[in-house]
Amino acid sequence: MTQEIVVDEVFPHPPEKLWQALTDGELMARWMMPPSGFEPVVGKHFTFKTTPAGEWDGVIHCQVLEVVQNERFAYAWKGGHESNVGYGSRLETVVTWTLTKVSGGTRLRLVHSGFVLPKNESAYRNMSDGWNKIVHRLDATVGERKGHE
Amino acid sequence: MLDLAPLNTVMRALADPTRRAVYERIVGVEEITVAELTRGSGVTQGAVSQHLKSLKNAGLVAERPEGRNVYYRAEPSGLAPLVDWMSHYGVFWRKRFANLRALMKEIDP
Repeated sequence: MTQEIVVDEVFPHPPEKLWQALTDGELMARWMMPPSGFEPVVGKHFTFKTTPAGEWDGVIHCQVLEVVQNERFAYAWKGGHESNVGYGSRLETVVTWTLTKVSGGTRLRLVHSGFVLPKNESAYRNMSDGWNKIVHRLDATVGERKGHE
Repeated sequence: MLDLAPLNTVMRALADPTRRAVYERIVGVEEITVAELTRGSGVTQGAVSQHLKSLKNAGLVAERPEGRNVYYRAEPSGLAPLVDWMSHYGVFWRKRFANLRALMKEIDP
């Protein structure tokens, strides 16, 4: 079973401008991370360097999968190591950006897909200590969120 | 924002202290009935049933009817929206969206 992360927001800018920020290496460096060897060309390999963890050197290996100007941009996002749990664990994921023109701007949708969920009981038990603490902090957060709906 | 609908359901379900206590008891055992959950809980069986219904709707518990009893057990995958929200990449992308918004203001004022 895999899981995806979705972030979906409207920006008060036209798709062409957002497209620039998403697909220009120098601009990408300013809001995401500086890419190495990036070109918005299908098949092109590039990397990001992040914090290492255990046996993982912190390098994220990417490959451009899809480029539809001003509309859709996708790349593979791989990294991590089998010996790590949580941050730095093995990742075989895909990042997809979709831009849709809406009145007054652009709806930008990010889907980061392919995360493998803890699915067996031992993984669940390892997690349950943590969730207990965390859930107790959620009361306040839910209160805030209710105000936004 | 993240895809908030499932997350809100899970957060709401776990935000209520009594319901959370019910959930914690279920997590702590293999399977449990409403009657067993009610014992020592300080609330009525009807109230426990209501809480179980919310937990079930949120995908946090599953039920297994057997004879006249219904057995409840924790459904680990129900916590997925929460885990996702808190995970490294959930935080990572929300921060990046904020950065992008700030950059866009600069390059396309």
